[in-house]
Amino acid sequence: MAIADISDRRRYLAQGNVYLPHIAIIEKIIDETPGVRTFHFNFKDEKLREEFTFDSGQFGEYSVLGIGEAPFCISSSPTRRDHLEFTAQRVGRLTNALHRLSVGAEIGFRGPYGNSFPLDFLEGKNLVFVGGGIALAPLRSLIWNVIDNRDKYKNIDIIYGARSPADLCFKYDLDAWDKDKSVSMATTVDKGDESWTGREGFVPQVLEQVAPSPDNAVAIVCGPPIMIRFTFPVLGKLGFTPEQIITTLEKRMKCGIGKCGRCNIGNLYVCRDGPVFTYAQIKNFISSEY
Amino acid sequence: MANKKINKKNIAKLLGDWSKEFELFIPSKDEGIAKFAKWDGKDTSFLDWHRNTIVPPKAIFFPPVEEMFSFQKDKQSYHIELPSSDGQKQLIFGIRPYDANALTILDKTFKDTYEDPYYLPKRKNTVLVGLGCTKPYDSCFCTSLGGSPTDSANVDLMLTDIGDEFLVEGVTDKGRELMSMSSELEEATEADETRAKETKEATYQKVTRQLDTKDIEEKLLSSFEIQDLWEEIAAKCISCGICTLLCPTCYCFDINDELIKDRGTRFRSWDSCSFPVYTKMPMENPRIEKWRRVRNKVCHKYEFYPMNFDVIACTGCGRCVRQCPVNWDITQTLEKMQAKVQSG
Ligand SMILES: Cc1cc2nc3c(=O)[nH]c(=O)nc-3n(C[C@H](O)[C@H](O)[C@H](O)COP(=O)(O)OP(=O)(O)OC[C@H]3O[C@@H](n4cnc5c(N)ncnc54)[C@H](O)[C@@H]3O)c2cc1C
Ligand code: SF4
Ligand code: SF4
Ligand code: FES
Repeated sequence: MAIADISDRRRYLAQGNVYLPHIAIIEKIIDETPGVRTFHFNFKDEKLREEFTFDSGQFGEYSVLGIGEAPFCISSSPTRRDHLEFTAQRVGRLTNALHRLSVGAEIGFRGPYGNSFPLDFLEGKNLVFVGGGIALAPLRSLIWNVIDNRDKYKNIDIIYGARSPADLCFKYDLDAWDKDKSVSMATTVDKGDESWTGREGFVPQVLEQVAPSPDNAVAIVCGPPIMIRFTFPVLGKLGFTPEQIITTLEKRMKCGIGKCGRCNIGNLYVCRDGPVFTYAQIKNFISSEY
Repeated sequence: MANKKINKKNIAKLLGDWSKEFELFIPSKDEGIAKFAKWDGKDTSFLDWHRNTIVPPKAIFFPPVEEMFSFQKDKQSYHIELPSSDGQKQLIFGIRPYDANALTILDKTFKDTYEDPYYLPKRKNTVLVGLGCTKPYDSCFCTSLGGSPTDSANVDLMLTDIGDEFLVEGVTDKGRELMSMSSELEEATEADETRAKETKEATYQKVTRQLDTKDIEEKLLSSFEIQDLWEEIAAKCISCGICTLLCPTCYCFDINDELIKDRGTRFRSWDSCSFPVYTKMPMENPRIEKWRRVRNKVCHKYEFYPMNFDVIACTGCGRCVRQCPVNWDITQTLEKMQAKVQSG
């Protein structure tokens, strides 16, 4: 995966300064699960609102000024541009502050950063999406992106799971994809409750049952590290080569632009050279510290 | 322009001439720790040190703590303001060759992909007047990294000690311009040139520590998975971070906000890959073990940076050796690694 071409993105810099956030306004808040919220937002600056573009898989640095900033992927699709979305799990200082905001509040945004899913490479192929928990966020941007350009792609398989029915994110999307005849959808939970009538079982097991063919196919996998670790071998068993598996990585980040140092995997910076990688690119590191 | 010279007694006058145009920084022990500080108009005591500052001059361009912007919140709205910059021209007097080299290395990171709006303007506004070393430390090894104690490659103007005087060489246009700004400089004679040449050769020989950097990238790559080697290398390190904070080529930083009532600032501050929190995430920390952090530090300098920018991110200044509280030693480390890889 190549480093993102940012030449056309420099014009988004606020006052020419890459660290300066643009002010954006929260327009809608959706409770996904008890700890996860999706925020719809738009830039305050009208010109930027119109000009701003990004690609599925890219992320931004979001600020609550006075508290700090953190990276979240843009979870909406670039094909649907009347607003932008991100989805944040409450885990610490900044995410708690975000969850305290209400509609109309101002946040800071700088980006888009990082590379993106390789649409050219995906075109004309069968796509297998494998997602777990909140990591559906980056996949979701791509899924809507390909659905909105449905002719360009062959079969679409989505395998998505969460710990429990209450932990499933984007239920409205899951319903829509379930109903969409051009998409085949398998939703699973590790453990159901009384009202759950769907599949039970871990994502890698369900993937093995669904058994998508590797012929002319690409698997796009996003999830917690434990899910990723168990999913790669299953894909291997199904016949997917490391070049046919795409994933996004997450590291602790600050600058988002390859300067502050902390997100490195060997010589690569996840913020600058990723977050989208093929399994072929990272398989040597996965075995050791990463 | 031909080379010039200046009598050491007249250095204060020379600095005085330049300080009319520039904000001038010199090596100073004013606050107890040797670092570059604003010139007070008279102090030239650093000329007798023959030694280098503990805090590298990178701090002038990339301060330990630096305001990125401030903001004010009224009602729902934020107002963001950049720190004011007067674009003041700066002059660093007495920078050592390996520290000037380190700035050339740092430039690569701060220019990469997106230009850093704090470091680069200061860099552009600053002229560097180098001062050749005369008494390298035992811990110096700049000659193993393509440098020399009197190297003029990364400065605008270069001074070489020739006894009672310094030979003054204009390296860049900016440097030659400096020469024309003071009447304290005299024409250098052939004898001065010869003395300078002799000093340079003699000082080069005084750097005794050597590091074999041949194929070092490849060797580090093959050592990467040898856990017991890295555990042994990291054993005595206490993760204090000094070797990275004081390293002239290290640039890691953290970003934080400070809020007092409705006014706040966002600032960045030096950080270090030696600290466990540096990479900490909610569920996991990829470098919780100390040997992984030490391995990252060494590999970053000698393997990853060369892969990205074609240059080793170490100038052999030896600060990490001198300042480490437990005598961790980078050249010994690399030698140990090389021996291990060679023995298979
Ligand atoms: C490219 C990228 C995309 C991301 N996309 C999303 C997303 O779409 N939705 C989402 O909910 N989260 C996402 N994350 C993770 C998110 O950035 C962190 O959860 C967030 O930074 C935590 O901030 P905090 O201030 O609330 O936590 P802190 O108070 O800083 O810390 C709480 C815990 O989170 C850890 N942490 C802090 N920063 C990060 C970080 N950048 N990455 C991982 N852990 C961190 C801390 O070490 C600590 O253990 C993404 C991360 C990256 C790198
Ligand atoms: S200065 Fe020494 S003890 Fe401190 S982090 Fe570096 S190697 Fe470890
Ligand atoms: S690694 Fe050590 S010797 Fe090399 S530049 Fe940094 S402080 Fe100096
Ligand atoms: S987040 Fe700073 S280098 Fe990647």
